[in-house]
Amino acid sequence: MKLLLLLLPAVIMFGVSFIKNNKAKYLLAFSSLIILLPIVELFLLPKPYAILSSYLVADKLDTYVLLVSSIVGIGVTLALLTLDKHVQISTQAYRRFYRFFAIFWVGLIFSILANHMGIYWIGLELATLSTVYMIKTNTTPAAHKEAWNYMIVGAIAISLVLFGIILMYASAKPILGEDAMRFDLLVSHAKEIQSSFLFEIGFALTTVGMFVKMGFFPMNLWLANIERASFYPVAALFSGILESAVIVGFFRFSKVAMAINYDHLFVFVFVYTILTIFIVSFLIYRAKDFMRLFSLSGIEHMALIVLFWVSGAPFAALLHFGAHAFLKPALFLSTGVLESNGKYKIAGALRGYKGKKGTLFWFLVSLFLLAIISLPPSPMFFSELYGFGAMITTAKASDYMLAMIAAVLFLLVLLSIIFYRFVAIYQSMKYEGKTEEKQLYSSELVALVLFAVALVGLLFPQTLDFLKTIA
Amino acid sequence: MIDFFIGLFLASLIVALFTTRLYRLLLWYSLNSFTLGLLALGIGRKIDDDAMIITGIATLIIKAVGIPYVLKNFSQKFHLVRQITPEIKVQYAIMLVPAILVFTFYLSEPIVHMIHTNANYVAISISSLFLSLVLMMEHKNVAPKIIGFLCMENALFLLGITATQGMPMLVELGIFFDLLMAIVVMNLLFHKEGVKA
Repeated sequence: MKLLLLLLPAVIMFGVSFIKNNKAKYLLAFSSLIILLPIVELFLLPKPYAILSSYLVADKLDTYVLLVSSIVGIGVTLALLTLDKHVQISTQAYRRFYRFFAIFWVGLIFSILANHMGIYWIGLELATLSTVYMIKTNTTPAAHKEAWNYMIVGAIAISLVLFGIILMYASAKPILGEDAMRFDLLVSHAKEIQSSFLFEIGFALTTVGMFVKMGFFPMNLWLANIERASFYPVAALFSGILESAVIVGFFRFSKVAMAINYDHLFVFVFVYTILTIFIVSFLIYRAKDFMRLFSLSGIEHMALIVLFWVSGAPFAALLHFGAHAFLKPALFLSTGVLESNGKYKIAGALRGYKGKKGTLFWFLVSLFLLAIISLPPSPMFFSELYGFGAMITTAKASDYMLAMIAAVLFLLVLLSIIFYRFVAIYQSMKYEGKTEEKQLYSSELVALVLFAVALVGLLFPQTLDFLKTIA
Repeated sequence: MIDFFIGLFLASLIVALFTTRLYRLLLWYSLNSFTLGLLALGIGRKIDDDAMIITGIATLIIKAVGIPYVLKNFSQKFHLVRQITPEIKVQYAIMLVPAILVFTFYLSEPIVHMIHTNANYVAISISSLFLSLVLMMEHKNVAPKIIGFLCMENALFLLGITATQGMPMLVELGIFFDLLMAIVVMNLLFHKEGVKA
């Protein structure tokens, strides 16, 4: 029953997308709003709550991720109301966008709530495939090329994930039988797995697949190029929802890997994420447009979340995750207005807004821009503080204290480069260039306000306490 | 008999790497899927696993017949380029294929010690995965890239059959469903691409 309620809004959205009436778009936005109702209800239920036998189980982690994703989904659909005012899109493509958004949402519900490696993969694949058409709603040759690119590279990444899942399943099947796909049983029986090497190979392959999907080394630019070529709500969906589904999978797989051999997991992920941040920081330094800038910054933050998670700071990772999930879609949605006068016009992008709505817009965008580089009181400031603290605490228990301090300092240098670039861009947006009037619509402003409220909500003591209980 | 089919599976993939015509590539993919279906049926019968027999039948119907037929229809409907010359020259590909096979047998050496049933098949499925990646990389056109992806999916399916003696039925059916969804999305992408492909 609960599963039906969770899927019902997506089914309604899918059905409404076939109505050929212009006013149906309001109904489509409303159908995304009702996604929140079953998720809030799920949030209030005792955990863990079995939604579909042992296959779909809601625990604190996945209800948190689902709640964050549903808020992002609502924000994106609000901004979608005025998409045709900023870009050229046919009504047929618009309706089809929603049709695939409904399928995307079904895939996400399955992958986020999955307590089963196989169902997680099926959901993620479904979500990946449905986004291909969303990229294609932009009819430019670049978008067409990138849709194919996403289809092929995404398929390779997701195949790597499946490859790893098969090996992990093979390693645990002798002790758990067909239940070797279940995350909860894998965690509780991790120590009994005889072929730990096989499991670790599987975990490494799955992780690489997930990292490629998130744009980690060596695929740092593929996601940025795709987000540049597609319409801005697609980028918001990628950064706010799809990456959440990927990262929740990483959390679940890594819990098992931690129980098997923590040191192996830590070294592998640590080296991988630092290498990613190293490359991404220089790419951010050279970024010349908003989309690529935000996209590359997304990779940096996902790498930090992964790093904090494996460093024994799940609280910091989850706080950082929540903040990133609200901030990045907000910034991507604001590009619809910021790029009104051209893709590469960073100078003066925050000028030319009139009235209360305009003032609120540039204020919110400034807030988001400064919050994404972790200026206090951004939740990211606190999560980074906790995260780096946890890295040092982890190192204290090992023989590599000096190496860890060096790594943290190196990371801080890289983050400073990113900080410098963002501040320079912000100054250019606000104080340079010509003042050209830009058109702003209420629905996109409401979306930004929603993200700002959600961001503030993350700093409430109750939220922080809740995040600590997940950790 | 299973050894014969697994050899045929690998052979059809190797031949696909050297193919220069789209329809012939579809034929090799169909043969690849056909042998995979027969393998699933054979292994399923051997270990008395009904789920694997069902997936074997589904593989024969969907992958060996359905998907090649749909892709051939797409190529006619959207006038796809049928001359598909691989970017890797034949003389280099001839050296690359055995190198991949030797490398994967060496790479999977520690793994095959841990899997007691059909250990060599695991090595073959991993090498098939690499060969499918080569198939995707050596072509500039979209159609052979899609077939490379489908071959990769076949290799993963083979790994699932051999390394784990079949994954849960639910997962197998889910993978089939996703594959069909992929075909729907490809249709939409081709539809927009039209004659330019």
